[in-house]
Amino acid sequence: MKPPGGDSGRPVKKAKTTQKSSGSGKAKEPYEAPEDLDDDDEEYYEDGGAEPEEKIEKKDFTKLELKADHQNRPLWVCADGHIFLETFSHLYKQAYDFLIAISEPVCRPESMHEYNLTPHSLYAAVSVGLETETIITVLDRLSKTKLHKEIIDFIRDSTLNYGKVKLVLQKNRYFVESPFPEVLQKLLRDDAISRARISSVDAKDGQPSFHVSKAPLEQGGQDMLGADEIAAAAEEKEMHSFEIDPAQVEHVKQRCLPNALNFPMLEEYDFRNDTINADVAMELKPQAQPRPYQEKSLSKMFGNGRARSGIIVLPCGAGKSLVGVSAACRIRKSCLCLATNAVSVDQWAFQFKLWSTIRDDQISRFTSDSKERLKSNVGVVVTTYNMVAFGGKRSEESQKIIEEIQNREWGLLLMDEVHVVPAHMFRKVISITKSHCKLGLTATLVREDDRISDLNFLIGPKLYEANWLDLVKGGFIANVQCAEVWCPMTKEFYAEYLKKENSRKRQGLYVMNPNKFRACEFLIRFHEQQRGDKIIVFSDNLFALRAYAQKLRRPFIDGPTSHHERTRVLQAFKHSTELNTVFLSKVGDNSIDIPEANVLIQISSHAGSRRQEAQRLGRILRAKGKHKDRMAGGSEEFNAFFYTLVSTDTQEMYYSTKRQQFLIDQGYSFKVITSLPPEGSGPELSYYTLQDQLDLLTKVLNAGEEAAGVEELEEDMDDVTRFRTRRTQGQMSRYSGADGMMYMEYSTGKGRGKPKPRDPNKPRHNLFKKRFT
Amino acid sequence: MVEAIKGLLITCDIPMAQFIINLNNTMPNAQKFILEILDDTHLFVQPHMADTIQYRLQEFRDSNTFEKPLGVRN
Repeated sequence: MKPPGGDSGRPVKKAKTTQKSSGSGKAKEPYEAPEDLDDDDEEYYEDGGAEPEEKIEKKDFTKLELKADHQNRPLWVCADGHIFLETFSHLYKQAYDFLIAISEPVCRPESMHEYNLTPHSLYAAVSVGLETETIITVLDRLSKTKLHKEIIDFIRDSTLNYGKVKLVLQKNRYFVESPFPEVLQKLLRDDAISRARISSVDAKDGQPSFHVSKAPLEQGGQDMLGADEIAAAAEEKEMHSFEIDPAQVEHVKQRCLPNALNFPMLEEYDFRNDTINADVAMELKPQAQPRPYQEKSLSKMFGNGRARSGIIVLPCGAGKSLVGVSAACRIRKSCLCLATNAVSVDQWAFQFKLWSTIRDDQISRFTSDSKERLKSNVGVVVTTYNMVAFGGKRSEESQKIIEEIQNREWGLLLMDEVHVVPAHMFRKVISITKSHCKLGLTATLVREDDRISDLNFLIGPKLYEANWLDLVKGGFIANVQCAEVWCPMTKEFYAEYLKKENSRKRQGLYVMNPNKFRACEFLIRFHEQQRGDKIIVFSDNLFALRAYAQKLRRPFIDGPTSHHERTRVLQAFKHSTELNTVFLSKVGDNSIDIPEANVLIQISSHAGSRRQEAQRLGRILRAKGKHKDRMAGGSEEFNAFFYTLVSTDTQEMYYSTKRQQFLIDQGYSFKVITSLPPEGSGPELSYYTLQDQLDLLTKVLNAGEEAAGVEELEEDMDDVTRFRTRRTQGQMSRYSGADGMMYMEYSTGKGRGKPKPRDPNKPRHNLFKKRFT
Repeated sequence: MVEAIKGLLITCDIPMAQFIINLNNTMPNAQKFILEILDDTHLFVQPHMADTIQYRLQEFRDSNTFEKPLGVRN
């Protein structure tokens, strides 16, 4: 312990503050050697009245003991749960695999990764079969310093209860299973759980006892062991279990959450021994060769011969669908696959047919456009979250299908893009579909709200997360050059931007900034003509989207664009050499699969959403070109480009930096480009003359608040929502009712509102059926 | 007779000039400080305003700059 004044090991910045505060507040107290430096920091700043943000993060670990052979070890483990990994260490691969299992990645730049141990990450660790002591020993082995007692206690505390109890579906009976009988007894002391218990288990040995009795428990345990030939070492112990009422499963699960009994349950599905649900004859085709990281993520899922529920995180374009299809093929039971919109439903169905030997009659799509019924009694159904969770009235046809979905027992519930779906919708989907095993797939486990942690308990822990940069190095995803293009505002636009009365039109102004337009036009030309690239331009602002697309004479796709039109444009974009640029609104963020595109230009975005940024980058991450060129040291350094156009001195700068944080944490760096379009460019790009610019300005200002309007679109583009969207879109004035006023003025004076748009799903009355067919 | 006014010459880029002009416009008449707008990047203002302008400018810039919050992890 050192007195704070004589501390040389602390960062300079902090040392300054220390002196300052000691001068003012702390002077009256003599320096005392504090018991704990962390606590000392806090007390110190409270006394000294220094800024609170200074005390966060700055921690002193100088007292940690360095091991003699620290050079051979890759980790710095701090007492506060932060772990730093040297990626140049020869043990990097092993250490990485271990860390990704036990901790959350915080920031992963090239040579130094930062991880954080959290209760959730440890929960995930135990759920894949790691044990408390293993975690501590391995961590200690990899660490350069002796493990702090604090951290060991933390790991013990956090893993004490996690993963001790499992919920197993066997032969369609739910068992609560644990290697620790005392834990089960504890659970049974809870009213809700003991009520849910089915006493038929007890009947086996004739003991209708309330407590967990030894004999039937072991019975259960032996069953399991016999069945599990490739059980992991952790599984080879005795298992104790009792059966619970399937109807009460939800209650029991809830009682076990950390806010109640604190024994979160893991769910496993013993699919090999499931004789009740028929097998689907599907296997991976021989040409489907999972890549190493895909194998790894699957092995986490099927680690002990059973299927675990959980989430797999892979960057966009890294082959999530193959992981999903492989999982389904391994379980070989009926599978319900949920996607976010109709387009990705088509893609999933296509992926299933592409990678597996599933027969065409065993796969069906269920969207509002195509309501196919499963022809055989087992198979794969692909649908959207909305279609399943939709609470309103359905057409007769879809009502039947949805009932079928609800009544069926699914082997695997495959959920795509789990991060976008609101938690309440998840609950609904999960509660109405009976599934043995749930697999969530996503690229970005971040949300601007705190809903991510809900996923932990609704689906399961994170099973695997890939490192983006490693995949880039391996050539599995494209090597992207990220750039932020700074476009100065023109004088006239900026003058309007600053005016108070224009505060609602600001977005329109900075998005339509002529310099930005010119930069965008320049980039499109450059990539189309010089490199022959395929370009996607993203704009959340619909006014800008249309204005840009019309001026540059390129097609655009936004919410109201019909499915048919969308497919046509995307097909043309994929196959025609004429069409190399397409403009997309928010609808393109998720799941529109355009593997050809390798340049992305972002002209406006949804405020500071980190997830959107990552998702958009994902549109171009699919690896292109020859594999050997893409490997580190290959002939092409970058083969994809991600440009964000930002009007300087505006709010956009703030949002832009915020948005980039996720990608920066993944190790990407953004290059700032200030000189676009280049100095010499003249009238060949639009809006060269002042007059043109002024015309544009008038247009933006006249467009009113519409120009500032971001597309009113729910995350999932389904027809259910598209229908709703159409009604809400329009001028801001509509919200205040001003639209209605205008309508009154021009109406014939009946004073009636618009007739209600007919619900296309509602069957017509018999009288009218003949007239409208 | 030549009339001389003591003032401060500000050289800045175009948007910043616009910001200062806008600042000037929002002031009540008695407090208007721009003496002359020379061109897009040059302004001639009253000398006592230097600090205020700098302060307001800083404030404005800060509002447009994102700083990663320390200690908040997710």
